[in-house]
Amino acid sequence: MSVILIATIVGLAAVFLGLTTVIVAGKAWREAGEARDRTRRQFLEPRILAYAQAEDGSIRAALGRTPSARDRRIVEAVLLDHAQRVRGAAFERMSRALDELGFVERYRAALRSARSWRRAWAAEQLGLAGARRAVPDLAAALRDPMIDVRMRAAKSLGLLGGAGSVRELIGALDEPNRWSSIRVADVLAGMGKGAVQEVIAAYPSLGAIGRLAALDVVGRARPLAAVPWLLERLGDAAPDARARAAHALGAIGDPRAVPALETALRDSAWPVRAMAAKALGRIGEPEAIPPLRRALRDPEWWVRSNAAHALGALGEAGTTALEEVLDSTDRYARSQAVVVLEERGVVDARAGGLVSDHAAERHVAAVFVRRLVAAGGTERLAELAADATDLALREQLRAHLAPAPTSVEGRS
Amino acid sequence: MATTQRILVADDDPVSLRFVATLLRREGFEVLEAADGQRAIEIAREHRPDLLVADLLMPYRDGYEVLRAVREDDTLRGTPVIIVSMKDREEEIVRGFTEGADDWIVKPFQAKELLARVRRRLERRKAPPCR
Repeated sequence: MSVILIATIVGLAAVFLGLTTVIVAGKAWREAGEARDRTRRQFLEPRILAYAQAEDGSIRAALGRTPSARDRRIVEAVLLDHAQRVRGAAFERMSRALDELGFVERYRAALRSARSWRRAWAAEQLGLAGARRAVPDLAAALRDPMIDVRMRAAKSLGLLGGAGSVRELIGALDEPNRWSSIRVADVLAGMGKGAVQEVIAAYPSLGAIGRLAALDVVGRARPLAAVPWLLERLGDAAPDARARAAHALGAIGDPRAVPALETALRDSAWPVRAMAAKALGRIGEPEAIPPLRRALRDPEWWVRSNAAHALGALGEAGTTALEEVLDSTDRYARSQAVVVLEERGVVDARAGGLVSDHAAERHVAAVFVRRLVAAGGTERLAELAADATDLALREQLRAHLAPAPTSVEGRS
Repeated sequence: MATTQRILVADDDPVSLRFVATLLRREGFEVLEAADGQRAIEIAREHRPDLLVADLLMPYRDGYEVLRAVREDDTLRGTPVIIVSMKDREEEIVRGFTEGADDWIVKPFQAKELLARVRRRLERRKAPPCR
């Protein structure tokens, strides 16, 4: 029995020792490999940079000989590392080197791999490598069944730029997955004014999803030249398109859009009215105050909320309009006005006047607080009554918030 | 005989640092390297470079702090500083110039453009002041 036990212990110890040896040896081998790679990189990198920063010559000539399999990996890493940090002639030369050494061909082949992670990797590498001749391959990858591959291909096409890439990306705006479509729109918006012009030109040929994404592109890129086109889009049949056009006009901020946006505040679709209200706040023209005040009585809370926030963004005149709304018979309008006045610090500022040294300021503050209380906006006042550092202010506010009517208007 | 002009390059990204250092050495400049802002200030005080090329986001002392340290140091005050950064927002660039940057290049940058700006700054430094 004891012999079996000893044999088992010895056996287990041997297995443990063997495993430890394998792990330690593996680690040592890996570290030695990494050290060798570092040494080789120190040797190869200056040659690669000399090639990239020179006017002519090939990468093979710069390296001195055809690189070994191990060196190829290092050369690839060095080229891709640096290619991401520069542009212009040095980038073009590194891109050419990656092609000359066969890496671009390898990525193109990997784009046809059965494994999706490999296709996604290849799509990304082609963009980093600046492989413009791979645009058709990346365009095909935009129709890959895996979303990760499609998105990396879109990103790479964005990096590569050029008319071909823009055309393919515009085609991808009609992605059935709305989320992907938004990301493609992001890529296009980052490709400059030329791409936006192409998107506008292609708008009539796009499907419903593509059109919304196209409007997203314009809204993100915010070109002033697109304002007339966006004003036309406010008349589109699709409510979502009209809403996005209003949003884009707000993002651009051109005052020429104000009259059309005021009209859009009366659109039959509430998302359009909501976006129009928001846009008017972003443009910041005081002439929008009366229609925004009317929008505070909109049956949809989102429109009311956006209108109140827009008024809050319109400076003192907008704030005054919101204060006047406190007396409105419309409880929705009052409620939104209170929310925005609290958010923008107006309640704190006005209430602070209760303890002013000037009688006129105390009177104005007291009138404001009474209107606010009557409008049901007591939440922030109650917080101030509990937490304000000024004891006199706390007492004043408690008096205003007390259930029984009070005539206290401050110190006199 | 003309003396070699000395340029200090400060960047915590070793790849960028090596690229810029190699580029400047190829053009005949003597290049000093710093991998963080604190080290950049120390090297600048010790070696008084003719020009400083600095990244903005660096450990210990960022590019703005390096700028301030250079401008507050009597022996370094006149040293031209070129910021090379991924940051391209208007307020960041304005802050850079307010803190004393002489030039600003956005990454990814063009090698020839960087060289042209470096040369221009060094020429201006050598030129006698206008009367």
